[in-house]
Amino acid sequence: MAATITASAVRTCFGDGPATWDALLRGDCGAAPMRRVDPRRVGVSHGYPIADDRPFGPGRWLADCVTEALAAAGVDPLRRRVVSLVGTGLRESAEVERAALAGRVDFPAERLHFGPAVTGAAPGVDRVVTLANACSAGGHALALAQDLVETGEADAVLVGGTDGSTASMLAMIGRVAARPTERIRPFDADRTGVLLGDGAVVLVVEADRPGAGLARLLGTGLSCDAGHETAPDRDGILRAVHDAHRRAGRRPEQVDLVLAHGTGTALNDETEARVLAEVFAGCAPGPLVTALKGAVGHTSGGSALLSVAVAIEALRTGQVPPVVGLSRLASEAAGLRLVRDRAVAAAPRVAQVDAFGFGGLNAVTLLEAS
Amino acid sequence: MSGVVTGCGVVSAAGDCVADVLAAIRAGTGVRSDVRDRFAEPLPEAEAPAIAGFDVRGLLGRKGTSFLDRATALAMVACGRALADGDLTPDDDNRHRIGVVLGTTTGSLKSTMDFSRETLVQDKPYLVNPVLFPNTVMNCAAGQAAIRYGLRGVNATVAGGPLAFLYALRYALNAIRRGYADALLVGGVEEYTPNTAWAARLTDAGPAGEASAVYLLRRRDAEAAGARAEVLSVATGFAPDSTDAGLAGCARRALAAADVRAADVWALAGDDSDGLSDVVPAAVERLPVRPALGDCQAAAGALAFGALLARHAEEPGAAGRPALVTARSRDGGVAAAVVRGWAGGGDDHR
Repeated sequence: MAATITASAVRTCFGDGPATWDALLRGDCGAAPMRRVDPRRVGVSHGYPIADDRPFGPGRWLADCVTEALAAAGVDPLRRRVVSLVGTGLRESAEVERAALAGRVDFPAERLHFGPAVTGAAPGVDRVVTLANACSAGGHALALAQDLVETGEADAVLVGGTDGSTASMLAMIGRVAARPTERIRPFDADRTGVLLGDGAVVLVVEADRPGAGLARLLGTGLSCDAGHETAPDRDGILRAVHDAHRRAGRRPEQVDLVLAHGTGTALNDETEARVLAEVFAGCAPGPLVTALKGAVGHTSGGSALLSVAVAIEALRTGQVPPVVGLSRLASEAAGLRLVRDRAVAAAPRVAQVDAFGFGGLNAVTLLEAS
Repeated sequence: MSGVVTGCGVVSAAGDCVADVLAAIRAGTGVRSDVRDRFAEPLPEAEAPAIAGFDVRGLLGRKGTSFLDRATALAMVACGRALADGDLTPDDDNRHRIGVVLGTTTGSLKSTMDFSRETLVQDKPYLVNPVLFPNTVMNCAAGQAAIRYGLRGVNATVAGGPLAFLYALRYALNAIRRGYADALLVGGVEEYTPNTAWAARLTDAGPAGEASAVYLLRRRDAEAAGARAEVLSVATGFAPDSTDAGLAGCARRALAAADVRAADVWALAGDDSDGLSDVVPAAVERLPVRPALGDCQAAAGALAFGALLARHAEEPGAAGRPALVTARSRDGGVAAAVVRGWAGGGDDHR
């Protein structure tokens, strides 16, 4: 079984979906000095910000994407059973920080999840569920969306992912980095860690209609390492990859493109590179591999869906954007066909999207050109 | 794709198999045992629909059972029986794909209340017994059952009072259909303690009952020899303003999802289903649980489901005919499942 993705809407530091795609193909880097938070107090100097510092940014970016995606899909929630699932790492916690510092709460608690944001933009949506599965939240939401559509519980699912940044999350990053990072360098030997990116994505998932829509959603494999709090685990990631391939009914040699999680941290990139080498060993020449975070930052709860949205564009156009920020290849990634320096034309048919969250939450999605 | 039931595990006041549950329901008189000497605390009644002579050490052994609360012990025994009855032996090849999904009301009310009370009455620094803490979480029973039988797949506890079993069944069916597990122990458990006895009395729901009924649900396309029933669909709803209509709508949705005509429904298991008179044929056979076995809350639906399996087992003429299991809660929750069963194994149903 499979489902169809019928619309996609994106907001990143580069702008909307088309602007983001163009920037990715050019190899632009969206890193910029920190906004909204004092860099000296959190120990982080840069991010990948959206130029919008008003409160409730993640909810507004999400709502904009909901409006755009619904219109593009031609789905009317008043006439069809539409459910919304929103994956997020931080929700609207920046507003909690603002309220705590001000000593005054000036908003209803409901605004901390994304129910009001989605129903405001899409009256008639049956239900909005906000999931918090760290940086693979969007992947988990996508898996549940496919379940809802394939079991007939919903006609269409608005799958969203959105995150901004919070001072407490930034301070945590500032404390674990050896020195402040100015940009993310996925799979680079000199990578210096991760930075947060603002971003929101909404996809519309509907029942399988081969030949229609933007791309086919073949399946998402999930796993939980049940191991370390933050370190990725080879075995857990492999379980998710194998689960994804099994659900999708595709063999490793059928995968043409991988959108890696690629956070530019020492542990993720090494573990992910080794897993990819293992999964695609024996596949000649093996899939092209790219990663977005050097260009758009780590958009946390939105990152899995942003990779899915970009994979869809790659499947549609045959263009694969390069890994921005990669100049000196890390040794463990030497066997991967990483797309470097400039976009390549490749006409991929099947794409794999990796998303791994703290706590060992893994989600791996397989997509196919429609 | 649907799920098939290949094993049953029952611990109830009526007996230890689904046929005993059906017999008690059919007799229609309340099953009662003497509970006067069972607890130090006073009870609201001398007799209750509680299980007589449940010996956890005799059934599970001494090791690891000293600190189990009653709900957990009941669930563990029923899970073991369902695995054995379904002839499924967990091993290193399959244990990652076998799981547990149990319905509950609030876990063990007694464990939670006793532990909370200790934190209030003990001298500072409130020296509570840490060994008893695991009993205070709602997923204790499902977790302990998985640990005992080595089940590493999906492990979920679904809270829903009288709706809990059907919620658990829905969850389990989805997990099977969507490929998250190959086999699941799905059931409901409720213990009889002074806490539940008084809760039932003080809310006019009584008398409180107790039971644990667990079923082995497997993928239909898997090894389904010996299938006693097929779970076709489960629907749920919330209709606080008109619960009868809500239950009727829920049953209609379940029947539509199962592609079953309401006129073909031959049996109706569960309590408080008067609102379904307009949905099912007048001659439908009704199997209510409460008159015989008291208010079994999360286990009530599981007992109704078991009675239906037993009814199918004794009526070969009804092989493959669809039946409904329904439940409703006081606050307006409703649920309905469409099930069809067979007298013997399910080998001939394809």
